[in-house]
Amino acid sequence: MSTPTPSKHTAAADAPPLVELTAARKDYPLGRTVVSALRGVDLVVRRGEFVALAGPSGSGKTTLLNLVGCVDVATAGTVRVAGQDTGQLSEGALTKLRLDSLGFIFQSFNLIAVLDVFQNIEFPLLLQGKLSKAERAERVRAIVDKVGLTNQMKQRPAELSGGQRQRVAIARALVTRPTLVLADEPTANLDSETGERIIDLMRDLNHTEGTTFIFSTHDPKIMTHADRVVRIADGRVVDAAGSSDTHAHVQGHA
Amino acid sequence: MGTTFLIAARNLRQGGRRVVLLGMAMVLVSMLLVLLDSLAAGLEASMVHSATTLASGHVNVGGFFKVTSGQASPVVADGPKIRKIVEAEVPELDFQIDRVRGWARLVSDRASFWGGLLGIDVAEERGLREVLQITSGSFDGLNAPDTILLFEQQAKRLEAKVGDALTVSAPTMGGVNNTVDVRVVAIAKDVGFMSAINLFMPKATVRKLYQMKEEATGAVQIYLKNEADAPAVMERLRPKLEAADFKLMDSDPRPFWMKFDTVTGQDWVGQKLDLTTWREEVSFLLWILTGFAALRWLLLGVILLLVVVGIMNTMYMSIRERTREIGTMRAIGMSRGQVLRLFLIEAALLGLFASALGAGLGAAIATAINAARIQVPMDAFMAILMNDHVYLKLTVGNVGYAVALISAISCFAALRPARRAARMRPVGALHTVG
Repeated sequence: MSTPTPSKHTAAADAPPLVELTAARKDYPLGRTVVSALRGVDLVVRRGEFVALAGPSGSGKTTLLNLVGCVDVATAGTVRVAGQDTGQLSEGALTKLRLDSLGFIFQSFNLIAVLDVFQNIEFPLLLQGKLSKAERAERVRAIVDKVGLTNQMKQRPAELSGGQRQRVAIARALVTRPTLVLADEPTANLDSETGERIIDLMRDLNHTEGTTFIFSTHDPKIMTHADRVVRIADGRVVDAAGSSDTHAHVQGHA
Repeated sequence: MGTTFLIAARNLRQGGRRVVLLGMAMVLVSMLLVLLDSLAAGLEASMVHSATTLASGHVNVGGFFKVTSGQASPVVADGPKIRKIVEAEVPELDFQIDRVRGWARLVSDRASFWGGLLGIDVAEERGLREVLQITSGSFDGLNAPDTILLFEQQAKRLEAKVGDALTVSAPTMGGVNNTVDVRVVAIAKDVGFMSAINLFMPKATVRKLYQMKEEATGAVQIYLKNEADAPAVMERLRPKLEAADFKLMDSDPRPFWMKFDTVTGQDWVGQKLDLTTWREEVSFLLWILTGFAALRWLLLGVILLLVVVGIMNTMYMSIRERTREIGTMRAIGMSRGQVLRLFLIEAALLGLFASALGAGLGAAIATAINAARIQVPMDAFMAILMNDHVYLKLTVGNVGYAVALISAISCFAALRPARRAARMRPVGALHTVG
């Protein structure tokens, strides 16, 4: 297991809040009943933090990431991301917020199967439409170099290993230089060694780029890399300031 | 946009058997569309060419002359004056001819029948020489006075051959029956329905039969550079002729020989002109085109409906299979409009490639059919087609039309599934439940 390197952008306690959830609630109708995935969550994540969400399956980790990631809206309470109340934003404004400020890393990588590595990473830049072709190529090559996939640029996702695919997903999430990257169990489909390397890479990017990361995980080893572990159980935050030495605690919730 | 095209094209390529089968169906429909369109255009072209050469100009200035109110002859008293007006007022003019018209009984030793006489001047009949296929005798034989050209079916009915003498009998404008003896100088291959009734003779012989003056004729037939200008030219000529002291009949879109009863029932004497277009002169045949067009659209409508259902079904299945991809793209920042465009582009590409291939195949088959000069197997069809072989009129327009129509239908059919894809909520599409 690697040890976190000294950070160029250490998350200070007085850094401005990037994510603020206040009494955030998410209910899903299920037939005649209502299932509450989140039951009033209060949480603040500051710029530059590397935060792990821990909790058993069904505890609400993914729902919390969905709300912060603006792919879902809270039933009650407020969710503020980059200073904006997501509940007050239009569909178009939410899409723009996702495109310009957020990056996503999925458990199943979710790469576009028909595009090669370069094209997958370039895709969000094309959606933004801000850079020229040459600028995009330069940006993509830089990030590809950082995630160590220079020799795989022309390969399609099906030709890559799980670890390589997740590196592509990380590169795609970071290529637009977002302020916040959300990763939903990014190591779940990887062997432990590859998972470690992926978290190391994310941690390194957090340090060097100052990008805020919030990732969910079941794996206590992975949690040890986080600045802070937010523990969730039954749709509630039970500990928002937990240390990364959490093995026994997490086991207790599982 | 380039990446959207790339995603759409590659997803199509990976669509497998479902996309291939749908593409093949679209190829077939496009091919059928081109073939049916070119057959319809060929049919119309054959009819226009044959009808305007045998029986009508693009625009006709005919008319009736009534000595008494109860009797009418298809005569225009001053042909040269009308030709001068046409020359001056119709810049679209290609050329003009005039033919003496009549309705007479043709009698041989064995049989007789009534037919429409057309008195012609061989020298000015440009198109007729091309259309008629002389099987015996010579078309130029009509330069001699008191001669006649028969079609094969007429010769067969009369049991006549080149060199035989026949008698033409008709009532003159004065109400007295008159006859002339004529010699068969040519027998031509039948050219559809028109060859059953039309009899070609020199102008002078027909005038002699009806005891008409030199300047009298049956109709001035006007041929335009573009047939489509006919209605406009006719409308323009009407006031010009009235200004030149001609009296005109009200517009009546029927061939001149169907108007005898109407004209004889009217209470006027003297000359009245009757202007018609070629479509009106052969209107009794145009139901064939209308019927064929209706049948074509019915057939295509059913097939196109099946294609629409096929495209919608394929798109819905594709969207279901790619729900996660749609969710991912939406999460990354793709807008609803961009998702909509992605699926519409996919449908448009499929439509464009399939229809271009189908239209190309259709064009190739049409060209091959024309080159093979396939004989029309039945007389009935030959009568309809006015042609002895199948002719498909292929134009860039009907090929382009097929490609545009199928591509547009493809996009239209994909619109509903694409809107469903665009309306997916990213969270649902990602299938992520915590």
